[in-house]
Order: sequence, then C-alpha cells, then structure tokens
Amino acid sequence: MAAVTEQINTEFDTIVVGGGVVGLCATWFLAEEGAAVLCIDDGREAGSTANAGSLHVQMQSRMERMFPQYLADYLKTLSLYPQAVEFWIEIEKRLGQDIELSVGGGIMIAEDDKQRQRLERKCRLEQQHGVESELIGKADLLRMAPYLNKDVCGAVYCAKDGKVNPLLANAAIRRAALEHGGAIRSGVRVESIDRLHDGFVVKSTAGHFRTRHIMIAAGVGSGALVDNLGIRLPTTAEPLHMNITEFATPFMGHLLQHAESALTMKQLHNGQVVIGGGWPAQAAVAPDAPGIVLDSLLGNLGLAQHVVPGIRDLNIIRSWGGINTMLDLVSVLGEVETISGLYLAVPGDAGYTLGPYCARMVVDQMTGRTPDYPLAPFSVMRFAGTGS
Amino acid sequence: MTECDTTLVFEGRNVNCCAGDTVAAALVATGELSLRQSSCGERGVFCGIGVCQECRVTIDGRAGRLACMTTVQDGMRVERSPERAALVDDPAPPAVSNGGNFGCAEPQVLVVGGGPAGLIAAAVAAEFGADVVLLDERAAAGGQFFKQPSGASRRPAPLDRKFEDGRRLIERAQRSGAKLVPDAQVLGAFADNELLVNDGETTRVYRPQRLIIATGAYERTPPFPGWTLPGVMTVGAAQTLLRGYGVRPGKRILVAGNGPLNAQTAIELHKAGADVVAVLELAPAFGLRSVAPFMRMLLAEPGLAATGLRLLAQLRLAGVAVQPGSGIAAVESTEDGLRATFGRASTAGIEAQESVTVDSVCLGYGFLPNNELLRMLGCRHRYDASREQLVVERRDDCQTSVDGVFAVGDCCDLGGAVAALQEGVIAATSAVRSLGLQTPEEANKTTFPAQKRLARHRAFQSALWSAYAAPRYHTELATAETLVCRCENVMLQQLDDVLAQGLLSLPEIKRQTRLGMGACQGRNCTATALSRLAGEIDLRPDEYTFFAPRAPLKPVSIGDLVGGPEE
Repeated sequence: MAAVTEQINTEFDTIVVGGGVVGLCATWFLAEEGAAVLCIDDGREAGSTANAGSLHVQMQSRMERMFPQYLADYLKTLSLYPQAVEFWIEIEKRLGQDIELSVGGGIMIAEDDKQRQRLERKCRLEQQHGVESELIGKADLLRMAPYLNKDVCGAVYCAKDGKVNPLLANAAIRRAALEHGGAIRSGVRVESIDRLHDGFVVKSTAGHFRTRHIMIAAGVGSGALVDNLGIRLPTTAEPLHMNITEFATPFMGHLLQHAESALTMKQLHNGQVVIGGGWPAQAAVAPDAPGIVLDSLLGNLGLAQHVVPGIRDLNIIRSWGGINTMLDLVSVLGEVETISGLYLAVPGDAGYTLGPYCARMVVDQMTGRTPDYPLAPFSVMRFAGTGS
Repeated sequence: MTECDTTLVFEGRNVNCCAGDTVAAALVATGELSLRQSSCGERGVFCGIGVCQECRVTIDGRAGRLACMTTVQDGMRVERSPERAALVDDPAPPAVSNGGNFGCAEPQVLVVGGGPAGLIAAAVAAEFGADVVLLDERAAAGGQFFKQPSGASRRPAPLDRKFEDGRRLIERAQRSGAKLVPDAQVLGAFADNELLVNDGETTRVYRPQRLIIATGAYERTPPFPGWTLPGVMTVGAAQTLLRGYGVRPGKRILVAGNGPLNAQTAIELHKAGADVVAVLELAPAFGLRSVAPFMRMLLAEPGLAATGLRLLAQLRLAGVAVQPGSGIAAVESTEDGLRATFGRASTAGIEAQESVTVDSVCLGYGFLPNNELLRMLGCRHRYDASREQLVVERRDDCQTSVDGVFAVGDCCDLGGAVAALQEGVIAATSAVRSLGLQTPEEANKTTFPAQKRLARHRAFQSALWSAYAAPRYHTELATAETLVCRCENVMLQQLDDVLAQGLLSLPEIKRQTRLGMGACQGRNCTATALSRLAGEIDLRPDEYTFFAPRAPLKPVSIGDLVGGPEE
C-alpha cells in the first residue's frame, strides 16, 4: 500500500503497457518527441524476450496450412512486412550500434512437385500483394545453399527476409528509450485501467499513475487489459517450440523455411543455429514458462536434420517455448474509435518483424502525423460483437 | 595386471591409455591439462562428472564431446575443440523425422542415477519382485561416492572399504534382477512423467509406473581469479581421476575449500604418491567450540566419527599440513606451473599472504543438489536460505509432490551417502507397496530400521557441518574481471553493469549478458548471479527465481537425439 501513496500524483502524457519490442520502440519514439512517457512491463508471458529473431517477409507456410479462413485479410496487409524490414534497417542506423541485423534473404524449400506447385501459387499471391519473391530451381538453390539435402527440388527466394539478434536489439532499444528520457518500470504488473474525464488512471503493483494517453502493447496480455473498458480484443497465446545449437562454423546466411512443414532455421552471428518454425510448446500459467512437448522436440529437430543433414553432429544446448500472439493474423493498430486516448499496438503475426513499424505508425497517429498506412483496416472494432 | 595397450591420438600424438579410461583420464595421465581454447583462455577438466562442459574435445571429427564422460576406444582421434563446431562433410541424408515414434520402455520402476541411493532403491524394488530399470550416465555404476576402479587401472588404489562396499552394492543390484543401463543420459522429462533417454546409440522414451530420482549433486565453486585455468579442478574431479582410473592430476597438489571431503581426497592423493603441499580449510581450527558437535557426532554415528578422527590423524602422520581458517585467493599460470596465492579467510574474503607453485589445485566448497530433472518433472521445491539452494518437498516415504515420483539421496538435501542408502530403501519400499507387490506390514518391517538410521545420520550430518562451519563465499573472492559465467565468458563487471541499470532479475541478467545461456545451462553461475542480485534487492527466491530447466538437460547432438542417417 505504501507504493500507492508514493506514486499517486505522478502524471504522464502516455503510459505504454508492455515492454517488448513494440512497447520499447513506442517509448523511445514518444520520448524522442519530448513526451513524458512511462513504459510498464510485468516481465511475464513475454513474446519479444523469448523471440528467436527471424524477420519474415515472405508468407510463412503455416498461414495457408493452419489459418485458411484468415488468409484473404492477411494478404491485404502483406506489404507491411517488407516495409517493416526496411524500418528495422533504419532502427539499426538510428541506434548506432550493431544488433546483428542482416537482410540476407530467405528461402522456402520444396521437396516434391506438390510442394513446388504450392510455392508457385504462394509466389503469385505475394507478387499480387506487394512482396517481391521468386521461384528458383534445384541447381540454383543448391548453389545458393549447398548445405541443403540434395533431394530438394526448388524454392521461393525472398531477398527481404532477414534476421536480427533480439537480445541485442531489445537491450539497445531499451537504452535508446531511457537516453531520450523515457521511464521504464520492469517487473510491475498493471491491475486495471480506468477512464477519467480527461485520461486514465492505471492501477499497478507499483502504485497508481495518471496519464492522458495509454498505449496497450502487451502482446497476448493486451486483451485482458482492455476488457474492463468494454473493448473486445481476443488475443490468445500460441506457445511455440524453439531450439538452439552450440556455436558452429558459419554456413547458413539465409533464413530457411519449408513449403509444407513447420521449420525455420537461421544462424546467428556467433554461430549458433536457431531451429523453430511453429511446433507447439505447452501452455502454462505465469509464472510458469511454457513447457516443452516431446513430439515437438523430436519432430522439429528431425525435420531440421533431414533438410540440413550436416547439422547431425551439432549439439543442441537448449530448447524453450516462446509465445506468439494470435488474433486473426491482422494487426490491431491505432486509437480506439470509442475511447479517446486509448491506443492499441498489437502486431498481427510475426510480431517481432512488425514490432518497430507498428509502434512507429501508432506513435505517428498519436502525435498528429499521418501513418504510412491508413489505420482503419487495423481497427479493433472488427472484433466488437464477435464471440463472447 | 594392467592392460594399458590402448592408444588414442591427441593432436597427432599417440597417447597410451588403459582399458576403461575416459579420454580425460588418459590425457591428464600424460600431463595434458588443457583441453579446449575458449575465447577467454584455455580450459580443462573442471567438474569431472559431465556437468560443467569445460572439457569439450573433438573426438573422431565430432566437436563438443566431453572428455570426462567418454570411454577411450583404440585408435580414437582426439583434438582440442575449436571455438566453433564444423558441420559434417557430405553427410548421408537422414531418414525423415519420425518424431514421437521412438522405442518405448514401460518398466514398473525406473531409477535414475546409479549412486548409493539409486543402487539400493533398484535392488530393493527388484528384490520385492518389481520390474526395474536403473539408468546411469557413466560407463560404470557406483556414482560419485562409490566410484569403482575402471577395468584396468594403472595403480589400483588399495581396495579400501568404500570400494568394497560399492562393489557389494552393485553386485546386489545386479543379482536383484534390476536392469542396469550404463551411459544413459536423461535428456528431459515431459508430460505424464515421460522421460527421454539417450544411451549413446538410441533414443528411447521411458514411461515408468513409478519413478525414483537419485541424480546426486555437483560441486559449487565461488569464482576467483584463475579458477578457469586448466589444472584448477574440483576435488570431485580429482577423486574421480584417482579412484576411477588411478590418475593423479599432477605431482604437486594444493587442496582448498571446506569440509571433510577435502581432507579425505588429500590423503588419497598422498597415498597415490602425490605431494599434497597443503589443505587449506576455511573453517577455523577445531577447539572448544568443536567439543559439542564432536560429542553429537559420536553419539549419532560412532563408527563414522571414528573414521573421521582416523582420517585427520592419517593426514598429520603423512605430514600434510592442514591450515585451518585459510583459503585460496588467486591462481595464475606461470612457466613452472600454477602459482596459487593463499592466506587467512574471513567473511570479507581471503588475504593474499603466501604463494606456492603446484601442478594442480583441487577445490571443494560443497555441493548443489542436481535437481534439474526433479524440477522438470514439476516436483515442488522450497528455497533453503541457509544453504542457498532449492530443496525438493518430500513426504515421509520420499515421494514428491508429483504422485509416483520419489526423490532420494543428494539430489534432495545433500544428506550424504549414508542418508542416501536409507532413503533408497524407504522410497523403493513405498513404490513397490503402492504397486501392490508388498503388504503394508512387510513394508513397515523394511522401512522402520531405515527411518531410524536416517534420523541418526541426519543428526550426525548437522553436527558435522556445525564443526566445519565456515564463511560461505559468493563473489567475495572475485575481481571485476573474474569470469562468473564460464560458458559464455561473462565477467563480474558485466553482471554488475546490468544491475546498475536497474535490471533486477535473473532472466534480465541472462538476456543482457548471456550469463547462463551456455552449455552448462547455468549450473556454474546461477548461485553467483543470485547472490549479486540479493545485494541489490530484497530477494526471496523461490522456484521461479531460478532458470527453468529445459530439454536437453545436457547438450546432445542432433543425430544422437533424433536418430542417425538412413540405413
């Protein structure tokens, strides 16, 4: 209770709830504009902090495989992804330090004709929706990626796919936010957000704060935060399995994916290979971290070894579960039409790729600039009246 | 008697080995203490029991193999591991993943760990008619306490009472009908008490009806300047080399730390011909304040108390100087060997008063329970503030909070071998009773004497450690440049910089510095980082304060984990 009295009179222009890549970027951008901004993060159910750093531009194969019902609307937002990667390049420049960002292109391989046909269709869709990608044949593919299983028959190549070291990026963005005068409270949990006539009061485990604007950038936790404000935002957690190897000699410059099966692979600058791609981890209630599912561990690594046989002798040193925030694959961005001053910034899919760009656009709207994209298609109101 | 006609090729040079040697034993026997070049200096054998991951070498072209856990095969090619492992050249394409479609074993009772607790538990359960499998990660059962001499040790140390007790127990377990599986690494625990196990050849899933975890302990070492140098190792590593393979880790040896294991190892090294220059004991000299603990020890376990006194007398007779109230401050590498600086110990640290040049330094600062598997199984733990470690919660029959999962021996609360033997009996009896293989009356008959002995032994242990009470170091001995995380080469200063930024949790420290992200999964650095954190905030640790244990519990190659190339 002591904390409450300590903090009740603190007043901010904006409180950002969520200290992942979206929230930290927003805090940085707002602080840069001179706003009094506070970022609150409870350090749990983290997406960004357990992220593996793939920058996805070409459509992941899981979209068609798992979410055909959302595909049409998702495709309309596809051109955000190359823009988001461009923005990551800008972010690295502005941070002025190495975050091991590399836009070295990505390949999605096919192993048979059926998969090749699927890739042809995917490539067409991508071109229609503003993403440059190209089909490449077996000979070119093996020249480009000699480490692949010789049985591959082709791939889609997308030059804009990339990777970044999320540990370095998160730390650097956090420092930038602080250097520009932003405040960050870690390990603090928001208990409720209540409206006042000219803003909000945020009740947290570190006391109460008044603010004029509020930005919800809490990934999967966002839905619960706006529930008592009468806003329906059905974020759900998709716990995903990931693995990391010991340091290996450099061999893989691309982000590697598979046309039909859940697989992403990339090599970090230090030589470690990160293997994932959407195998399920076991959901857990905080403070428990997501658990590991045996079939995911064996299935994911078996597939990786099949596609890149040379990794056979590399040691796996750890596996873990990260959390992907699931909505309808389309981001929720911008001020809520019915509640002035309440802004949402929840990337639709591949949240780490989209994170800084989403933060940029919402901050643009908040500060009276015109975002790159009209934000109407990203309104949360599309969920109003759906479900329960 | 010895069969020492095996050869391995180390860095192009032939090394003569004895049958049963580990790669580490064979190399240390020829004076090769440096096994790996890290980006922050050379490394060698440190823990000796497959925990610290420092002795990684390349074996027959495969990087990242542990020298201390790999048995020599004739003609084996061994090299220092490069900083980065190479891919397999032109590999045969493997079969498509058959995730989840692995061999499965469903014994009634599965015991993990072949030390005193695991061996007796397996024997008792099998003697009562249960179908029992015992998994042990080493080539030979016995664990760290009953380490048995390998097939053909160089100088079979005189087969003392402990060797003999261990041999009898192993024979009893073998006779009982329990199936003993050596070289078996448990890689993880999953839903419904499923265990993933690799025995070097196949990966198998175990779905036992009852599970007895007896995974023992590993040593904790507070970081100090020079603690990562080759030749600086735990007393456990030195003892494994000596008792298991007849290998001395050098001629001139300094032993330092706290507790009776150090004195015991010193006398064993002396008997094996080593020149033990001193035993630096952090605890002050026994005096008036020791009378009460000694009386309590004598009352509780007269036999063990007498053995302890005999040991101290032997040391004196051998001319090995035990220096109470002193410890090691720093070690540096010189042309003549390792120069160790030492002096008076206080809670603030150790004064650098004298120095001595030796071949190796053996450190024994006590143990941490090897409870990662228990935590992965979801067994509830509580934090023991006095020993600064998580302790699994158990019922009287050693069953944990997870039904059907029992925990015995040092992986629980470091009760020592005698306690481990009693707990093994108690847990196995309860397990077979719950399987309907024994009536409650029969079970009580077996359990009652074990419970009584356990109570006596706990009293003995408590008195023993009050006699050996000493300063407990965390980072008091470290300087800003001392490595606190050996795997990722993180210095104390880097840890402090993160705390200064106000990032006050173990996961934040990990993300910012990579401390705990390496091959040992934080086993060497967690205690250090937590102690530093506790200096900043009112830390009340619980299970969630620590790193969550994750599969694989120890590094394993992808090929070993998911199966090799297509046939």
